[in-house]
Amino acid sequence: MDAGIDSLKIRDQEYCPTLSRAGQAMLDFLREHPAAPYFRNQSGNRLLAEEVAELREFEQIIVSAKVGWPQDGKPEWLESFIAETFKDVPYYRSLGPVAKRFEDIPTISRADLASDITRFVPDSVPIERLINFRTTGTTGNPLLIASHPLVAGRYLAFHKRALRRFGIILEHGKGQVGVVLLGMQKKCFTYVSVTPLMDESGLAKINLHPDDWFHPDDRASYLDALQPEVIAGDPISFSEFLSLPLRLRPRAILSVGMTLSSGLREALETRFQCPVLDLYSMNEVGPVGVFDRALDGHLLLQNRLYIEILDSQGRPVSEGQRGEITFTGGFNFCLPLVRYRSGDYASLKWTPEGPVIRRLSGRKPVRFFVSSGTWVNNIDVTHALSGLAISQYGLHQRRDHSLVLRLPNSAMMLANTASTRLAQLFPTQKITIEEIVTDGKVLQYTSDLPQDFA
Amino acid sequence: MNKIGPPLEALLRRLADTPPDFLDEPRIGNTGQVFVPAVVNDLLAKIAQRLPQAGLEAFRGRDASTDRNRLLLVMIMVWLLADEWFADAQLPIAEVLGLLNQTARELALSTNAQKFIADPDRREELARLSLARLGFRPEGETPEQATDRLSALSVTERNRLLDASRAAEARAKAIREQLIKKQAEASADKWTRE
Repeated sequence: MDAGIDSLKIRDQEYCPTLSRAGQAMLDFLREHPAAPYFRNQSGNRLLAEEVAELREFEQIIVSAKVGWPQDGKPEWLESFIAETFKDVPYYRSLGPVAKRFEDIPTISRADLASDITRFVPDSVPIERLINFRTTGTTGNPLLIASHPLVAGRYLAFHKRALRRFGIILEHGKGQVGVVLLGMQKKCFTYVSVTPLMDESGLAKINLHPDDWFHPDDRASYLDALQPEVIAGDPISFSEFLSLPLRLRPRAILSVGMTLSSGLREALETRFQCPVLDLYSMNEVGPVGVFDRALDGHLLLQNRLYIEILDSQGRPVSEGQRGEITFTGGFNFCLPLVRYRSGDYASLKWTPEGPVIRRLSGRKPVRFFVSSGTWVNNIDVTHALSGLAISQYGLHQRRDHSLVLRLPNSAMMLANTASTRLAQLFPTQKITIEEIVTDGKVLQYTSDLPQDFA
Repeated sequence: MNKIGPPLEALLRRLADTPPDFLDEPRIGNTGQVFVPAVVNDLLAKIAQRLPQAGLEAFRGRDASTDRNRLLLVMIMVWLLADEWFADAQLPIAEVLGLLNQTARELALSTNAQKFIADPDRREELARLSLARLGFRPEGETPEQATDRLSALSVTERNRLLDASRAAEARAKAIREQLIKKQAEASADKWTRE
């Protein structure tokens, strides 16, 4: 064995402390397959043996936990969580005593976390094993989220809960690939690992961008060879995924990170004959909810996450009214959140199955002016274009009221249809089409018009 | 501390009996119920004279992370100074304002306002400090005794706070370093990436 491979395997043990011979064989298979991509990085689950055991227990709790709270009340864990957080977390401690009414506790936002994340890490959390997840969000301001291997490992419990709802119980274990995470970016963090909780099933995070492959055709060969049980990605990577001549049959597809249009979801379902789960998930709080067509919204997944919908003044709105999604709680013990304004907007609806997030949209709502003198909300635009299999788009209104619809190259064949649908909302306004040239996500809705008058 | 003030026990009892209303949420931006400038002005009216709003700007809350604890403490101090003894003492308005503004700001920087009610040492510190800043000492004590006792309370507390502050700074630095380590950037497995 040469020195390079030797050091790679030593680092495998560091990244996967419980790695067995079978696990190492899986890593070798994922890396050394003839059609494998260039893996740019090395990482792993980092879980210690006792943490794997802890995760098993956590998973048992989450899969069957009751999620939600009474419509006219608060979750029972909330009071003690707030008391503990105000004691243990420097930022909250600096606010003084706990407010008598929960609604009087000041809200925080992404800017607060970005200004000094260290003040949000509880004193009781040991520093040595802290890790970070970096997020740029839609505003482009980078933010480091303090986390821990256990926290990353806990994601799977919520995924399993969501999958169960769709009748899927994960089965892949030793010698099989559990999940492939897809990216489609010029530059992407790619690596292989194993999941101890699934008997070291394989995990590959790959980039579908042709630059990451010896030959573009290798992408389909590699994915077909891996036969992963689950494919995870975002609408941009799925758009590329759909273009590949694949034979693989995943049991489920998980979509996170951006709004998944119903058109793209249906295209994926038809092509791969499996459920496509649209997860609402963010680095700050992890998987929040899974979209359920019957409930017409995202059903919540976490048993210790309280959600409020707040108006622009920070006041809770009534059921069904739209506002900013605001989180308290969560499973990241390195970053307990109290009234964290997420920057995402939705309404909350009570159903017999618990609270459901309805009409979710990232970022502050944008209104578009219609020449007749009325305004159209960005949600109406989302509905108008939702049936089209477009990975992402951007709609911009210029000062002269004309509109620019930005589409990725892969969706240009749908430009006329999209334009016609928009014309139903804006019958007399000029609509031009532009191609998205950037590699990453674009701001979905923007306007040059002031947003504070109607 | 040249002037003789009220008995210390009376002030300590008063602080311990602070009515819940004085711990209601101070108005900061759009949240909270109590408009603290009005509370301060009511006190001033009782012990001297009302002030125009402009003179009370320091008691208006703008940012919860810096103002909330301070304004809660201001309300507790207003309750303390609303004692009949102070009403009869003909206090100079500038000194009262200085106490409510500057002293509250200093104390609130590091101590939870609630502690000035619940913790016996902090209660005594607040009562003694308030008297001292207004030029009084507790009834029955010499100036030396009053100075020694306040200094003992404050020095112990100051040292504790200094240690705590050093420890907090060191921890924040360690967290920052850990988070930006290359290894931390490489992160750990999640089945989905946002």
